[in-house]
Amino acid sequence: MGTVSLESFRADVERLRAEAVAALVVAGDDAELEQARIEFAGAKSGRLKGIQKLLGGLDGADRPEAGRLFNEAKGAITAALDAAQARLAGASAEAAAIDVTLPGLPFRHGHVHPITQTIRRVQEIMARLGFESVDGPEVEDQWHNFEALAIGAEHPARDPLDNFYLAVAQGTDPLLLRSQTSTVQIRVMEQRKPPLRIVSLGRVYRPDTADATHYPMFHQVEGLLVEPGATMADLKGVLRFLASSFLGGDVHVRFRPSFFPFTEPSVEFDMEWGGRWVEMGGAGMVDPAVLAAVGYDPAEVSGFAFGLGVERIAARRYGVADIRDFYRNDVRFLQQF
Amino acid sequence: MIISTTWLAEYVRWEAPVEELVRRLLMSGLNHEATWPVGADTAIDIEVTSNRPDCLGHVGVAREVAVLFDRPLHIPAPRPLEANVPAAAAIAVEIVDPDVCPRYTARVIRGVRVGPSPAWLAERLRTIGIEPVNNVVDVTNYVMMECGQPLHAFDLAKVRGGRIIVRRAREGETFRAINHKDYSLTSGMAVIADAEGPVALAGVMGGAESEIAADTVEVLLESAQFAPLVVRAAARGLVLMSASSYRFERGPDPAAVEWASRRAAALIQELAGGEVLAGGVEAGAIAGGRATIDLRAARVEEVLGVPVAVGRQAEILTGLGFVKEAACSERCRWQAPSWRRDVTREIDLVEEIARIEGYDSIPEDRPIHAKPVEQSARERTIRVAGEVLVAAGLCEAMTRSVVSEAFEATASPWTTLPPRRVAPALVRGADRLRRSLLPSLLEASGHNRAVGAPHGDLFEVARAYLDRGGNAAGGSPLEEPLLVSLVVGGPYAKAKGLAEGVIGRLGGVVEFRRRAFDLFTPGRAAEIVLERAGAEPVRVGVVGEVSDRVLSRFGLEGPVSAAELRLDLLEISGSQPRKLVPPSEFPAVQRDLNFVVDQGLLWADVERAIRSAPGADTLLEEITLEQVWEDAQRLGAGKKSLVVGLRFRSQTGTISSDESKRLVEAIVASCGHSCKAILRG
Repeated sequence: MGTVSLESFRADVERLRAEAVAALVVAGDDAELEQARIEFAGAKSGRLKGIQKLLGGLDGADRPEAGRLFNEAKGAITAALDAAQARLAGASAEAAAIDVTLPGLPFRHGHVHPITQTIRRVQEIMARLGFESVDGPEVEDQWHNFEALAIGAEHPARDPLDNFYLAVAQGTDPLLLRSQTSTVQIRVMEQRKPPLRIVSLGRVYRPDTADATHYPMFHQVEGLLVEPGATMADLKGVLRFLASSFLGGDVHVRFRPSFFPFTEPSVEFDMEWGGRWVEMGGAGMVDPAVLAAVGYDPAEVSGFAFGLGVERIAARRYGVADIRDFYRNDVRFLQQF
Repeated sequence: MIISTTWLAEYVRWEAPVEELVRRLLMSGLNHEATWPVGADTAIDIEVTSNRPDCLGHVGVAREVAVLFDRPLHIPAPRPLEANVPAAAAIAVEIVDPDVCPRYTARVIRGVRVGPSPAWLAERLRTIGIEPVNNVVDVTNYVMMECGQPLHAFDLAKVRGGRIIVRRAREGETFRAINHKDYSLTSGMAVIADAEGPVALAGVMGGAESEIAADTVEVLLESAQFAPLVVRAAARGLVLMSASSYRFERGPDPAAVEWASRRAAALIQELAGGEVLAGGVEAGAIAGGRATIDLRAARVEEVLGVPVAVGRQAEILTGLGFVKEAACSERCRWQAPSWRRDVTREIDLVEEIARIEGYDSIPEDRPIHAKPVEQSARERTIRVAGEVLVAAGLCEAMTRSVVSEAFEATASPWTTLPPRRVAPALVRGADRLRRSLLPSLLEASGHNRAVGAPHGDLFEVARAYLDRGGNAAGGSPLEEPLLVSLVVGGPYAKAKGLAEGVIGRLGGVVEFRRRAFDLFTPGRAAEIVLERAGAEPVRVGVVGEVSDRVLSRFGLEGPVSAAELRLDLLEISGSQPRKLVPPSEFPAVQRDLNFVVDQGLLWADVERAIRSAPGADTLLEEITLEQVWEDAQRLGAGKKSLVVGLRFRSQTGTISSDESKRLVEAIVASCGHSCKAILRG
């Protein structure tokens, strides 16, 4: 039989633990802390050590439980000691404190132009539907800018006053700065076979006097899909997906009839934005004459196309009242986006 | 086109509020601009697309309304009371150039009393913004705004020689218009002339000499077809746009030539009295036939994605004036009305059905199947370049592609050929296609300094436009390299570091070679040359410190440095992402070497010598230039000291002191051999 009962050991351990933690929590300076440490956790004659010695007097069967109780108390006292030490160290560091509200070390980060951000947003949304971004030349010939798009020689859109024509030598084909990115769609269709899903984007040029809503150089994003059996319902679905992704929420799309030489039927599409219908761009089914012009068979495939003026939606998106601000390149403007 | 609702109601009763009328027209293709009251009348401004000249008159709009509201359409049938004397007794008409005027008709009304128009007519004209003049002129305007066919009334007594001759204008021929201004004509325009000279500019405006006046007694009424291009050339060339030219440019209903003439003659007779001479004097033949179009009923659903019943299809087309040739159901042959020359093909009929049926019937939730897509190499290249520069604190700018002559006076790094010009100028004075973005960016940077912006460090990704000279070889006569340009405050090394950063991220291996460029301080500029496997090295960039002359021109204060890179030549190749080179698990060894070399020796030569030392390819991890100094007394004249930091590390084990000693010796030997570098103390 042992000389110490488990019950009396348990009581001793609990009492020691309570007294030690209480003493450590109130220790006010390093001297008090050291005194408490020696009393409870001293290596030679600390009270913890004393209790440990009692373990030997316990009955063999009770020893594992007693050991567990001892270790638990020892852990708690050690933790309280550490906490007290940390607390007193912190108090003595008060003198080295800093004004944590002082400015952080400045670093300058750059900004992507809001027009680029808007284009990328549309690109990313369209990419989810499998539309690949494509690019093409800005200086174009009459075939790609007009004829392949069913804009005949008599069409007013070809008037020299309505386009930026390049000075060319007599007898050479006229060239102009493209007036729409549909030119890229023609170029892609000439090179690839359907099915096709592309987004063409970039700068386009039309002689408009610069004012708050016009600029002679602006950006377009145009989508084109050519597949067997494509319909206007598919077009509406794609535009609604674009509108909902771009504006957020469940956005509705509306078509109004319009006229473009290269689509038939042609529509303007509006999106519900801030509780009202906002004109977003033009769209329609690719005119069979355009499909034929690039060597596609209109009996085999059909397609739809749509175009967005980037400046207009960017202006609305960012609350820019004058689109000329996009081209002033004032850093105070650019760094807001 | 402004519509008077009172006037419109003469042809159709829609029996709905104006708001509903406007909405239905909007949703079927006539965009609404504005609505406003004019006395008891209401004016509605609608936008008519260029393919719909039929809606440039009240009757055409009424036809749309009749179909949309399913109401009958009433069009008056004018029957002037004609005298026995034929019009041909009073006037002769000759078309000299049928290409400018396929059809010309003239009627004559004698004994008119010119005076003010009755209130109903004057009010309708005022509603649509036309100021009444007199009963004869007002009738011609009224009928034009009714059916879209422009008319002109001459004072027959002022038409000399009793002849009307329609011909091209002669180069330099002069003409005084109703507005009492004189115009000098060109052969691209057409005139109506009498025996002595022009009395009207065909399709655009009448002449001052023969205009209807208070004392006019005999009226010659013109109703004709003029070629759109000829009318446009005159209206644009002389900046003389009129309601008439606007309609002729778009091509009115050919059948309206005759109807309008009779309608106007009858109204003049009614309002101004007089007798209408028998018949018209006609020349030429109506141009433009009616299209015959086959429509497969099933095609409508194939295009729209939703069906429209066969009966409804026919109802819509019939209401719009199309005539079915025979009984049919699944496949019908339709004849287009004369006023719808824009409808020539099956797809055009589908659009007519769709716009009247309404696009709201097309669902917006049809699912579309997904398709894989890959980001193009160009796209990735542009993004990577932008990411580097944004991370470095630059803002992306967008400047004009077309610049002034002054900007393009600077030599381009990319071509020796002059810039191409465009007309008109993009903005005042800017008519050169730029061959470099740098002048534009320097200007933008200067603007930021002028307005006190926080900084003017900018970059731009855009194309330049380079003449290929004679080397087009069937392709475009212009090359359009994609450039990224940057301007930053700081010395040469600042722009070079950014250029190296971009090129490094794109995976290019380049050399910098000193070279003079227009914008940069002599001796502080370099061309950047790309080494290419299996091809000649090529210039892919320029970098330099902007010269004082250029700085002062753009209001900048130095040092400012700039660079321009050819992204098209630096494009990331292949679609595979970079493969990881695992960082070595072994410790590095750092050695600093102090070389004394000739002052003129290039760092690039030292670096090359170090890298070519035996063992460097596997063990040399990084070279840094720690310090450069010159001291004639301690180093000798014409010498400089380079303190070079070297970090050695192996992928396969810890470098022993023997190994690092051997490598240092090899490097010292290599530098001594290729650069005459002497190791100092």
